[in-house]
Amino acid sequence: MLRQEHNELLTRTGPGTDAGKLFRSYWLPALLTEELPHDDCPPVRVKLLSERLVAFRDSGGRHGLIDEFCAHRGVSLWFGRNEECGLRCPYHGWKYDVTGQCIDVPSEPEESGFARTIKLKSYPLIERGGVLWAYMGPPQKQPALPEWEFATVPAERRFVSKRLQESNWLQAMEGGIDSSHVSWLHRGELDSDPLFRGARGNAYNLKDARPVFEVVESPGGLYIGARRGVENGHYYWRITPWVMPCFTMIPPRGDHSVHGHFWIPLDDENCMAWSFDYHPTRALSTAEIAAMRDGKCVHVRYVPGGFRPLANKDNDYLIDRAAQKAGRTFSGVSGIAMQDASLQESMGAIVDRTRENLVSTDNGIIMARHKLMRTIKAMVEKDVTPPGVDVAHQRVRSAALVLPPDVPYREGAREALSVRPGVAPASV
Amino acid sequence: MPSESVRATSAREIGFRIGDANSRPRKVKVIALDRKAAAMVTGLASKTWNGAAFFTATGLDAPAPQAGGFAMPGWLADLAGRARNIVDEVAGADVVVMIAMAGEDAGAASLIGEACSLRRVMTTALVIAGARTGDDALSASLALLRPWALMLVIAEDIDYIEDMLVALRA
Ligand code: FES
Ligand SMILES: [Fe+2]
Repeated sequence: MLRQEHNELLTRTGPGTDAGKLFRSYWLPALLTEELPHDDCPPVRVKLLSERLVAFRDSGGRHGLIDEFCAHRGVSLWFGRNEECGLRCPYHGWKYDVTGQCIDVPSEPEESGFARTIKLKSYPLIERGGVLWAYMGPPQKQPALPEWEFATVPAERRFVSKRLQESNWLQAMEGGIDSSHVSWLHRGELDSDPLFRGARGNAYNLKDARPVFEVVESPGGLYIGARRGVENGHYYWRITPWVMPCFTMIPPRGDHSVHGHFWIPLDDENCMAWSFDYHPTRALSTAEIAAMRDGKCVHVRYVPGGFRPLANKDNDYLIDRAAQKAGRTFSGVSGIAMQDASLQESMGAIVDRTRENLVSTDNGIIMARHKLMRTIKAMVEKDVTPPGVDVAHQRVRSAALVLPPDVPYREGAREALSVRPGVAPASV
Repeated sequence: MPSESVRATSAREIGFRIGDANSRPRKVKVIALDRKAAAMVTGLASKTWNGAAFFTATGLDAPAPQAGGFAMPGWLADLAGRARNIVDEVAGADVVVMIAMAGEDAGAASLIGEACSLRRVMTTALVIAGARTGDDALSASLALLRPWALMLVIAEDIDYIEDMLVALRA
């Protein structure tokens, strides 16, 4: 269980909240680059950390992320005209540049300088690795640009998607480090998903549905290792890194691409589950990309025109009780992403953690909450920079490997868990 | 008509969740395996818990009083220094949490672990290993603990234990 005041602390991320301040220390994925495909393209509504914003790409290719509502009489700038280096409100023609500065108020004489007195809140928005990243913290603390490996490899080695999840970010993120659910909820996918199947490690997984867990603190957050006994008394380890506040990465299988997530709060009751797939040393194949677009593995199919999954609350996630009965899926919901999301949404928008009965295997989750609380306290009381801001903490990989029985994996897997350009992931 | 899932997750419906207790109190036994761990546990024991009990295993190698016919006698000390039979304590536990300082003698883990596996009691081990703890010290502790801990946490400092025990409703 978690005390109610701690649950409040960790789940509220709007302006002025402590967890909100934590999130405002990082570059956060805000949009896919392809959502703003060309200069002067239509603006896009963005919600992040309980703030309503609008993103646009001006005539010079500069990206802007500004307050959604016009300073004149509050019209949504989503209706704006994106033209001649600015976004013009369609109501009375006020115009803003990418910094939110008002640059034209047609009703006022230009010489009056009135436009200069109007400025909307804005945040820096930069492009990296197919993602537009926003930084919402104080300008003097703006960190170095993100260096997550998936965002630094050539574009043909990467696929990034996002989906709306109708729950608080924390229960979504906790799913990402909850290794003990994989053997149950996702057991059907190990054999069937084209982006999983065929790896030697899968047999180890299926042979032993009750791995032993080992949780280890790391500079950026945690490693959650699941170990299973294999030949010669050795251990098969699957190691998931968590980097603060909300980056998780799934251990690789065979030579498949590696998957991972960010769990980004939109408001306290909705989050964006970002999913990336990449291979550090080879281009993704056409078949792999096609499978990802088709919603396989960590990705989903969408309701046309947005990022809401096709299987969603409204249609009861297309639950198929016959498939559940027959064992083709464990929960009746198909696809890894929606298996997770359907259950996490069923908890309610913000799960009541005072009623939980956690067990020993939940120590990854318990430790992550503990570290978040400790980090927030140090940040609020002593202005300590949180882990994960330093790009060195971002250069992590997940790993799957076999090690001798006495070796601490933070030592035995040290290289496997760090980014080595040009070297394939440690995988079984 | 909104779907079942939409209706069931509305704010209004959440208000109808049953508030009665959904578990009975759990018996958590916290055992410090070495002297340094024992010192840390002592401070923790003075807080209010739902029945968590704290012990040290530091006297395990000392000659023990005669235990009633059991083939594997072993003795713990509660924090008042009274001897306690490991098997009896473990038998009444839902979870046993072993606490060790990396590099200190965690030899008691095997006796406790055997008692737990005999009684099918879940074991968790917490190893305190600061960033500067050597890999050899840590691997010596792991060699003793891994065979017996079904869940192992390697934490940088001791303040994790309290949050963990609260989370486990100890
Ligand atoms: S078994 Fe874990 S939530 Fe029900
Ligand atoms: Fe999952």
